[in-house]
Amino acid sequence: MELQKKLEILSAAAKYDVSCSSSGSNRKNTKGGLGNSSACGICHSWADDGRCISLLKILLTNYCIYDCAYCVNRLSNDVPRATFTPYEVAGLTINFYRRNYIEGLFLSSSIIKDPNYTMEQLYESVRILREEYNFNGYIHLKAIPGADLSLIEASGKLVDRMSLNIELPSSKGLQLLAPQKTRKNILKPMSFVNSKIVETKDNRRFFKSSSRFVPAGQSTQLIVGATPDHDLKILRLSEGLYKGYGLKRVYYSAYVPVSNNPNLPTISRPPLLREHRLYQADWLLRFYGFSSSELLDEEHPDFDTDFDPKCSWALRNINLFPVDINKSDYEMLLRIPGVGVRSARKIITARRVKQLDFDDLKKLGIVLKRARFFITCKGKYYSSIGLDEMQIREVLADKSRKSHDNWEQLSIFTNMVELPTLEDKLMSLVGEI
Amino acid sequence: MVNYLYDSSFEGLLTSIYEAYYRRETPNHIFPYNYIQQSLIDSNIHIATNLEKASKVYESIHRKISYQALKNVYHAYLSELNDIEIIILNYLKLGFKKGKEIDLHLSEDNVLAIHTAAKKVTREAHLMLGLLRFKQLENNIYYAQYKPDHNITTLISSHFVNRFSDQYWVIHDLKRHYAAVFDKNSCVFTDISEQKILSSLNNNDNYEKLWKNYFTNICITERINPKQQKNYMPKRYWNFLTEKQL
Ligand code: SF4
Repeated sequence: MELQKKLEILSAAAKYDVSCSSSGSNRKNTKGGLGNSSACGICHSWADDGRCISLLKILLTNYCIYDCAYCVNRLSNDVPRATFTPYEVAGLTINFYRRNYIEGLFLSSSIIKDPNYTMEQLYESVRILREEYNFNGYIHLKAIPGADLSLIEASGKLVDRMSLNIELPSSKGLQLLAPQKTRKNILKPMSFVNSKIVETKDNRRFFKSSSRFVPAGQSTQLIVGATPDHDLKILRLSEGLYKGYGLKRVYYSAYVPVSNNPNLPTISRPPLLREHRLYQADWLLRFYGFSSSELLDEEHPDFDTDFDPKCSWALRNINLFPVDINKSDYEMLLRIPGVGVRSARKIITARRVKQLDFDDLKKLGIVLKRARFFITCKGKYYSSIGLDEMQIREVLADKSRKSHDNWEQLSIFTNMVELPTLEDKLMSLVGEI
Repeated sequence: MVNYLYDSSFEGLLTSIYEAYYRRETPNHIFPYNYIQQSLIDSNIHIATNLEKASKVYESIHRKISYQALKNVYHAYLSELNDIEIIILNYLKLGFKKGKEIDLHLSEDNVLAIHTAAKKVTREAHLMLGLLRFKQLENNIYYAQYKPDHNITTLISSHFVNRFSDQYWVIHDLKRHYAAVFDKNSCVFTDISEQKILSSLNNNDNYEKLWKNYFTNICITERINPKQQKNYMPKRYWNFLTEKQL
C-alpha cells in the first residue's frame, strides 16, 4: 500500500484521541542531533475543525484482535485497515519535524496479533527515532496493557509521555463492554510506569547523568456515560489516579449513544455538559487545591447542570464569603467563582502597590460576572443583591440557562482544555456514520 | 518642537534616550531616519548611534530598574508600533524614579502601553515558532519565508538554532528584507533579497503532499469551525502555510 493511503487511514483513525498536548518536557538537543522539546508546548497549526495540531498523531495499525463495543477499530467493524512499518513512522516524523510542521510524534495502536508483538513494533519505531535518527523532539507513546513490562520499561526510557487508557470508570463496565480487558491488566503497567518515574527522579537527584524515564509523565483517558457510574465515582477515580499513580492528566470523553449493542445505554444525546463539568472539576483538583469530597458527596453524587463545580461549592459554603480582594491569601482568591489562576496572580501583584477597588479589577481584565457576588474591595460590596444564597442562585442560574447552548464559551476553562467535539465521540465510539 | 531621528537600530534608540537625558530635553517624537511624515515646523536632530552611550543606558536600565524592564523595552522596540520610542522614553523616566517596582504600576498608561506592545511581540514570536514553514531546497538548505507584523526574526532564531542544530537553514522576513542564516555552527543576521532564493525552490516535495494529506485527514469534517481556526491562526499568516496552499 502506498504511504499516502496508509497515512490517510491511520491518521483518520487516530484523530479521535483527545490528548494532544506536547508540553511538560524539556528534552535538550544533543550534539549533532535533531530537535528538543519545549516545556510550554507549541501549536503548529489548527485544523479546519479548529483543533490545535501539535503532534503527528497516528496509529501504527488499526487491525485489532479485540472487539470493544465502543470503538471504531473493533474486530467486528467493517473499516479500511492499514499498518505502518516502524521505519515509515520514523521517516514521516523526521521529515515533518525538519519542515517545522510538528513538535513530535503521538503514536498509538490497535492490538495486532498480540499485545507483545504490538508493543515491540511501537518500541522499534521510537528506538529508530531516538537511536538511529538522533531525534530529540517530543514523543507520546501508548503502552499496550498485557505487554511484557520489560518492553514497556525499554520504551519508557525513550519517550516523553506514556499513556494507558483506563477506558471505563468501573471494572463492571469493562467486563460488559470490553470483556478482553480487565482493570487489573491496565493498572498493573500503570503502577509499574509510575514506580519507574519515581525511582528515576530519585536517582537523578544524586546522579545528574542517570537516564530519564517518561519525563513528561503519564496520562489516561476514560469514557463518560457508557456505564451507570456517578460523577462522584469518576472524580474519586481521577483523584486516586493523580495521587496514587502520579498521573499528569486524565482525559474524559463523553459516550455517544448510537450503537445497537444491548449493553450500551440508550440515551438520545452524548453527555457533553457532564464531560465538561468533569474537566472543570478535574482542573479544580489539580490547580485549585480542591478535593473530590468538597465538590461531591453521597448526597450530591452528580454535578449541577446550572453551575460550574466551583460555583456550586461556593453557594453551598456561602458562609465563607464575601472574600476581601485586598486581604485574602492566594488560596482563597482561587476559590472565588470566576477567578482563575491568572486573575488571582494579577490581583496579588497589583495590590502590592495599591489597594484595589472595583474599577482596578476591571482594568486588570478580571471578569466579574460571577465574582462580583462573592467579593468586597476596600470594605465595599458591589452586587445589587445581598449575599444571599438563594438570590445569587437565581441570578446565576438564569444567566446559565440563557446561554445553555453556549456553555463552552461561558466557561473559564475552555481555553485550557482541549474539549473533544461531539463528532469526535460519535465517530470514535460507534464507527463511521 | 524637537524630533529625534535615529537609525532604527536598538542601539540608536538607546543613544537617543541618552541624549534626551544629557540634553535635558523632551523630544516630541523619536523617528527612524526613513520615517516620511516629517513636519517642517519641527526641528529635527539626527542622533548618531554611539555604542558607548547606548551601553551606558543599557547598563543603567539593568542596574537601576530591572532586567525585566530591559526585556520589556527591547520587545516593545521590536513591535515597531507608531511612536513606541516615545512611550519607551516615558516608561524609562518613570522606571528611573520607581525602580524595579515599575512593572507593578499597571494602571499607568505608559507602563500598560509597554506591556501591551511587548506582549504583542512575544505572542507573535511564540505563534511563529509553530507556524513558520521550512521548504527543503535542492541544495539541502531548509528555507522559511514569512511576513511578521513585528520584527521578530532575531527573537525566534535562537529556538531554531537549538532545535535544528544539524540543518542548514534560513529564516527570511520578506517584509523587512532581513534574514537569519544558520550554517550548523553559528547564526548570522543579514539583509537579503528575495529573488536569489526563489529560483531554487523545490515544488515537488513529497513530504509537503503527505503533510497536506495529514492536515485534511486529522480534521473532523462534520465539525468544521473556520471561526475558531482563524481565531487561533489569523488568515494573514496563511500565505506561507504549506497546508493552506492548493
Ligand atoms: S479500544 Fe483498542 S483494543 Fe479495543 S477495539 Fe479499539 S483499538 Fe482494539
